Amino acid sequence: MARVEYQEQLDDLRRNVVAMGDTVIDRYDAALRALETKDESLAEDVIDGDEEINERYLDLESDCIDLFALQQPVASDLRFVASSFKIITDLERIGDLSVNLAEYTIAAERERYPEIDLIHIGTETGGMLMEAMDAYEAGDPELASEVAERDDEIDHLCSAASDAVVEDLIRTDYGDEADEVMDDVSRLLLTVRDLERVGDHAVNICARTVYMIDSDAGLIY
Amino acid sequence: MSQNDVPDTEAQTNAGGETRSDPDDSLVRTDVRATGSTGHGGSNETVVETRDLDVYYGDERAIDDVSMEIPEHQVTALIGPSGCGKSTFLRCVNRMNDLIDVARVEGTITLRGTDIYDSDVDPVALRRKVGMVFQKPNPFPKSIRDNVAYGLEVQGRDVTEDRIEESLRAAALWEEVKDQLDESGLALSGGQQQRLCIARAIAPDPEIVLMDEPTSALDPVAASKIEDLIDELVEDYTVVIVTHNMQQAARISDKTAVFLTGGELVEFDDTTTVFENPDDDRVEDYITGKFG
Repeated sequence: MARVEYQEQLDDLRRNVVAMGDTVIDRYDAALRALETKDESLAEDVIDGDEEINERYLDLESDCIDLFALQQPVASDLRFVASSFKIITDLERIGDLSVNLAEYTIAAERERYPEIDLIHIGTETGGMLMEAMDAYEAGDPELASEVAERDDEIDHLCSAASDAVVEDLIRTDYGDEADEVMDDVSRLLLTVRDLERVGDHAVNICARTVYMIDSDAGLIY
Repeated sequence: MSQNDVPDTEAQTNAGGETRSDPDDSLVRTDVRATGSTGHGGSNETVVETRDLDVYYGDERAIDDVSMEIPEHQVTALIGPSGCGKSTFLRCVNRMNDLIDVARVEGTITLRGTDIYDSDVDPVALRRKVGMVFQKPNPFPKSIRDNVAYGLEVQGRDVTEDRIEESLRAAALWEEVKDQLDESGLALSGGQQQRLCIARAIAPDPEIVLMDEPTSALDPVAASKIEDLIDELVEDYTVVIVTHNMQQAARISDKTAVFLTGGELVEFDDTTTVFENPDDDRVEDYITGKFG
């Protein structure tokens, strides 16, 4: 095989993106666990761990730029590097959203709407994320497409949660508690949105995987 | 003799050295057919078409059953490993292979519908319509003015200062040489010499400019000037370029034809398609460097 060093760089990139994905999934799971168990120490670990994810992102961004500049990949190699370049951005953002989740765990003092099951939504999006990265690692566009289709269900869960909160605010007169309630509700709605965004990033990873393998940009746009 | 053994100097001398007849405008008919294409905004009309083209050097087949349509006012790049037949293909388009005794061409090549290998076609007239630029700059050992004037003379056009200036401007060389037109073309830098050769090639106002690795002997700055020039030339001419530099093909061409060993045309498509999502696994392997 020609261009041995180049092929090794491509293999390294794939391995390192998968490793970054594993780390991001671990942090996201930890953030969900911290929220479920109200474990502020674990939440602090998630917040502290974000720097490592940012550094990995910058290292991999640099690796992609080096490949573009020095090896000028084309065809499937080009699609692989370009897709990886985009996917690491999604992973870095999921790291940020995990931090948001951890901060919510620390800041949320009351469980204002226990019927809203953040853990269920988060577990579903976490499952999407894990399978999206499985599809990327295996180069499996069918799996990627299947995972992307599940985003509608996440959107439905998030929309239902938001609607429930808004309907309660319309129905209920909180009187002197209104300011406090609004603070709690704002945090809750932002968290619901963050969980939904994790699902969106998982879909992005799926879309880039389909493009990477099949050169089909249909899921991207 | 393989196509790689063709002596360039002989071919270059003969390319413009024959003066046997007047320009044959009847070579070019007006009937044209549409074909899909993108890029430089050409009219999507086919200017050159090959059908079932085979070329042999003695018993050795250099081109194997190649059919393709080259769109006008676009840059078509021919790429492939050494010995794959891309230069041979290029030389067929202006019948340079006529100059090689053992070369034999089968199949058809048409220029706007006219079979260029028809017995009625004058190869000298053909070469006025299909100019050629070679890998190594080959200005004549004459003044800059006379180099361009030669291109006009073979066309039977009057040699005027205006026409010399026009050709040199079209080759992006005028500003650099306008005060030294009587100096030898050989005194120019390599990149300037190549642009002088381009000025000479386009002076007869051809339809097509064939370029056989025109930047491979040049440094990156001189090469980039030629690439910029090709981008401008395609407004007025159809350019077909052989290059070993795949990044160059990707940068400057609208269509890319990939030849592989044995003279087989494996893929011919929009350049973006070839370099982003080639159809043939062998092309994928070649352009990603997995073999070649």
